[in-house]
Amino acid sequence: MDDNRKPERGHETLDHTADMGLRGWGPGIPEAFEEIALAMFELIAEPGYEAGTYETSIRCQGRDLDELLVEFLNTLLAQADIDDVVYRSVNISGVKHGGETWEMDAVAFGTPRELAKEYLRAEVKAATYCGVLVEETDTGMWETRCVVDL
Amino acid sequence: MGSVKLEKVHDCLWEIPKEDAMQVPGRIYADQRSIDFLREEGKAKQWDALVQVRNVACLPGIQQASLAMADIHPGYGFPIGGVGAFDLETGVVTIAGVGFDINCGVRTMVVDIARDEIERRKKELANALFETVPAGLGSTGSLKLSKKEIDHVLREGARFSLERGYGIPEDLQFVEEEGSVDGADPDCVSMHAKERQFKQVGTLGSGNHYLEVQYVEEIFDEEAAAAFGLDRDQVVVSIHTGSRALGHQIGTDYLKVLRRASEKYHIPILEAELVAAPIKSPEGERYIAAVKAGINCAFANRQAIGGLVRKAFHRIFAIKDEEIHTLYEVGHNNLKFERHTVNGMEKELLIHRKGATRAFGPGRPEVPQRYREVGHPVLVGGTMGTASYVLVGTERGMEETFGSAVHGAGRLKSRKRALREYRGERIIGDLSKQGILVKVHSKRGAAEEAPGAYKDVDHVVSIMEGAGVNKRVVRLRPLICVKG
Repeated sequence: MDDNRKPERGHETLDHTADMGLRGWGPGIPEAFEEIALAMFELIAEPGYEAGTYETSIRCQGRDLDELLVEFLNTLLAQADIDDVVYRSVNISGVKHGGETWEMDAVAFGTPRELAKEYLRAEVKAATYCGVLVEETDTGMWETRCVVDL
Repeated sequence: MGSVKLEKVHDCLWEIPKEDAMQVPGRIYADQRSIDFLREEGKAKQWDALVQVRNVACLPGIQQASLAMADIHPGYGFPIGGVGAFDLETGVVTIAGVGFDINCGVRTMVVDIARDEIERRKKELANALFETVPAGLGSTGSLKLSKKEIDHVLREGARFSLERGYGIPEDLQFVEEEGSVDGADPDCVSMHAKERQFKQVGTLGSGNHYLEVQYVEEIFDEEAAAAFGLDRDQVVVSIHTGSRALGHQIGTDYLKVLRRASEKYHIPILEAELVAAPIKSPEGERYIAAVKAGINCAFANRQAIGGLVRKAFHRIFAIKDEEIHTLYEVGHNNLKFERHTVNGMEKELLIHRKGATRAFGPGRPEVPQRYREVGHPVLVGGTMGTASYVLVGTERGMEETFGSAVHGAGRLKSRKRALREYRGERIIGDLSKQGILVKVHSKRGAAEEAPGAYKDVDHVVSIMEGAGVNKRVVRLRPLICVKG
C-alpha cells in the first residue's frame, strides 16, 4: 500500500502459511493498538452483528511494547472466552511507562456470542511473538504487527 | 535466511550438518520435491521451517538430532512436524515444542455397522452428529462442570469423563497413557485458563479440528490391519481435537515465564517463541506440570466426545455403546518422558513432539497388549476431501525418530490464499459429488480447510515409509465430515 494514501488509522490481515498476520496503524500507540485489536475481532466475527451493551475493563502490563501488545491481545482473547462475548471495539484510556514496565488500561465493548452466532468465523488460539512489532514510522505514525495462532 | 546447508542422506532423508552453535545435526524426512518447496517458501517469506530445524538443534542438551517429519511446515520456534529429545540433566523444555494446543490428537473408533447401511442413512447420521457434538467458536460442552471440578479434569483425564457416563471402561486401554498422565498439577494452571475451559469440556472446537465417519479404502499391511481389526470397508469414526482454551491459555501464560527463564539461565533465544527453561529448574518443572494438566484435559475432552458420538449413532441405528470400540487415541502436540537408546545407551529423555505423532513399534511396554506384536496404531489425519491413514512405527523409527510419525498433510496455502481461491459452498458441493457429506458451522472454515490448501497426504506418508520409519497399514476415506 502506498504510504501517502493510507488513511490516518486502519488495519489489515497479512499472509502466513498456517495462521494469520495482523497489522494496525494510527497516529499514536493507543490507536495502533486499538486497530490491530479490531483486525483480530474481525477475524473472530464478521462485522454486521448487532451491537451489544457489554463492556469490560482490561488492564495489562509488559516489560516492553512488544510484550505489552501480545499481552493486550491475549487478555482480550481470554476475557472474551470467560464472558462468552465477541468484541467489536476497544478504547485505550492510557498507556503508561514507568520503571521497567509498560501498563495499559482499556475498555472493550462487545456482544454476547449467542447473538453473533451467524457471524462467527475463526477461533484464535493465541497472539504470538512471531513477527511482533510496535514501531514509530518515518512519517510519525505508529504501526503494530503480530501473528495469531489459529 | 534461505542459507541452510543441506546434504542428502538418501531419497527420503536430508541432513543439516552440525556446525557453529548446533549441538546435533538436523534431519528432515523429505524427498527432492519437498526440499525444493521448503527452500522456495523460506526464500519467499520470513517463515523458514529449515531455519527452525537448525535453531532447535542449538538448544542445550538436545540428543541425536533435531528432527522434522515429512509434513514439516513453519511453526513458532519449532517447525510443525518437529521432534526434539532432551537429556534430563543438561536439557531444556521449550514451549515451542508443544505449542498452544496441548495434546491435540486423534481418537479413532471402530463401528460395527456395514458401510452400505451408513450410506443409506448418511444424512440422518450427519445431522445427528452435528447436533450432538458441540463444535464451532464459543460452543459449550454438555458436561456441566463447576469451576472447582475442572481441577479433577486436569488430574484425572479421560477417567473423569468416563465416570460422568461418557464412553465405556474398555476405551481407556486403547488411549495413550490410558487416558491420564501422572504429575499434572492444577496449581500450576492459572485461574484464567480454568475459567476459559470449564464450559468447553466435550467440545470439538474449530479450525482444522473435525469429526469424521470414514471407511477403510485400502489395506497395505495385512498383518497389522488384522491386529487392528480393520477389514476393507470397515466403518470408523475419527475425532480430532485437543485441550481447547485451557491449552491455549497455558501456552500464553508460560510463554512469558519461559521468556524470562531463557534470559535467567542464559539460553540463547534464536526465535521469539523458542524460549526454554532447564528441565530441572523451578520454571521448567512448573511448565511441565501445567502441560501435563493440559494433556489430561485433552484426554477428558476426547473421551467426552467419544461418548457423544456413541449417542448420535445410537439415535440413528440403535447401536449399543459396546458395539463401538476405541481403536486407539494418540496426541501430536506433546511432552513425554520416554526411554530410548542414544549412542548405544538406554536412558530417559524428555521428548517434544510438535505436530508429530508418537509411533511406538513392536514390543514397547507402552503399547497395549493387543497390539504389542505390531506396534500401536498411528492415526494421521488428512484433509476433509482426501484420505486419512493408520500407520505403525518400526524398529528403525524407534532408533532414528524416537518412535515418531507424521501427524497430517501439512498446510500448503495460507488461510488468506485459501479464502481467495475457494468458496465454502463450492467446496461442500464438490465433496458431496464425491460422496463426502460435509456439515460445517462456518462456511468460511470450509474454504480455509479446502483440500487444495493442504499438501498431498499420500505423498507425505510415502516419504516416511520410503525412509523405513513408519509403515502404512490402511488408508481411510471420509463419508461424513463435521467441522466447527
